[in-house]
Amino acid sequence: MLPLSVAVLLLAMAAGVLWGTAEITWSERLAILLRSEDAPRGLSMIVWQWRIPRVLAVGMIGAGLTLAGLLMQTALRNPMADPYLMGVSSGASAAAVGAIIWFPASVTQTLGVPLIAFLGAAAAFLLTMSLSTRRGRSLDPLVVILAGVAVSLMFQALTAFFLYVGDPHATRNAMGWLMGTAAGTDWHELPLLLAILVISLILALRTASKLDATLLGDERAQSLGVNVGRIRVLVFFVTIALTGIAVAIAGIVGFVGLILPHMARLLVGARHRVLIPQAVILGAITLILVDLACRVLLAPEELPLGVLLALLAAPPFIYILRGMARVR
Amino acid sequence: MSDEPILEICDLSVDVGGQPYVRDLSLRVKRGQFHGLLGPNGAGKTTLLRVLYRALRPQAGEVRLHGRAQSEYSPIEWSRHVGALVQGGGLLAGLTPADIVEIGLTMRDIPCEKRREATQDALQLVGLQDKANQDAESLSGGELQRCYFAQLLACDPEVYVLDEPTNHLDLHYQLRLLDEVRRRGRTAIVSFHDLGLAARYCDTVHLMQEGRLVAEGMPEDVLTREVLYHHYRVDGVLEGHSLKLEGPVLDRTSPLQAAE
Repeated sequence: MLPLSVAVLLLAMAAGVLWGTAEITWSERLAILLRSEDAPRGLSMIVWQWRIPRVLAVGMIGAGLTLAGLLMQTALRNPMADPYLMGVSSGASAAAVGAIIWFPASVTQTLGVPLIAFLGAAAAFLLTMSLSTRRGRSLDPLVVILAGVAVSLMFQALTAFFLYVGDPHATRNAMGWLMGTAAGTDWHELPLLLAILVISLILALRTASKLDATLLGDERAQSLGVNVGRIRVLVFFVTIALTGIAVAIAGIVGFVGLILPHMARLLVGARHRVLIPQAVILGAITLILVDLACRVLLAPEELPLGVLLALLAAPPFIYILRGMARVR
Repeated sequence: MSDEPILEICDLSVDVGGQPYVRDLSLRVKRGQFHGLLGPNGAGKTTLLRVLYRALRPQAGEVRLHGRAQSEYSPIEWSRHVGALVQGGGLLAGLTPADIVEIGLTMRDIPCEKRREATQDALQLVGLQDKANQDAESLSGGELQRCYFAQLLACDPEVYVLDEPTNHLDLHYQLRLLDEVRRRGRTAIVSFHDLGLAARYCDTVHLMQEGRLVAEGMPEDVLTREVLYHHYRVDGVLEGHSLKLEGPVLDRTSPLQAAE
């Protein structure tokens, strides 16, 4: 399954790079990709400065958010857990919007939007967990989600407040970004995203067997020698790092972390050594193709990534909800 | 069988959520013997077992294995000596019974080939060989319990900690699985609600009430009519391996006629 998925990912990346609103012939595409001197300069710029970094960014964001959702679902044993529903994305975006609108540009530039987004993500995650934890009791999946929705609403309200009272110019920029878009992604944003994704992947794969044991329940995992608390701390840091960087680059991209881990489980089962690579590739493929659809469906207008994703996610979301009700 | 204890519980006190669940409890578990933990609901049996498989930390006292304190073992090292069958569910979507058994073996760094063989053998023992690759979410409660039992049997620890192991199991598997642990000659510490089963399998039983140990010894010595009355509120007597009830279930004020 994995080699096939890699092949589909390469095809999706090629499609993302070669298709778009600009009319480019096949010979021009070849010349641009080979960096030939005959390649039209303007079109070459579109492909190399605009499409390729964008495809790489959405691919890595899809991979990262899927990994974050998968790890949250495992660590909390909650099929509905994902950075968006748990309020982590909203926390990251509220912090980023607040910083962009309220802080002097010098402060935002010094700290960097990703770091501010990490802090917001961490605050939201901690708040959700503290609202849903009762001492000596195991976490109830529904209580966790309700707490996440409450935290998400709170941070969304905070974001709306920032936008309402903020400078109209800054507000307009933030609004487009909030609906999720990878338009305008630059090459310089990619190294940090890549570094966070690679480190997260290595950490997740190194703990794959412990994550498997965690699926069986906290007490069973502990009886098998797993330090469940340490796994949760790891998942916390990986999740806020992946969500923070994703939000800093593309705004709120919801439902990827919720739906795609389930699809990957249907394909290869739930053992993490196989599931993690499969889920990550599936996340990348999906977000590259959805982003391509956002660019070409209403061309020359562009649909926000978040809008199309929410539309596509509704049926599988209902399916998961029904499955959860059946198991309970 | 040696009389030397393999596991010692010394002056243990455990609080959960600020409530004392186990108080000043000490007991010695002998190598190769079956020890039963008995007592009514809320007596503290499961809390004590949770300490043994490291899901809870005691507020006072300690547990020693081979004379070494529990805290001196790493969690992995401890789990290789002391394995547990515990209560509670997980997120089983995408897992099969074979996966569940293998997860236990993977944590013990057993090579892939041996893992597969041990998984097949364990599933055969619990009668799940035909469902090895079925979706674990589709198993019944009893089948799932057998599956977790298979995981423990495949790992075959030195000490079996079994929390109500017969939950959801039909009579055949209750006897078959406990017989298997007995046949292996391993040490076991088991919480029981079925006093007949406790009498059948246990060399020693420990009776708990409100977090304290109130009696211990051979089943026939501990499970007297008075004990059944005072701790279980039933008027009955243990005959061999079965509990014979001789009157209605008692409320708190009923006098024990037969004993008086």
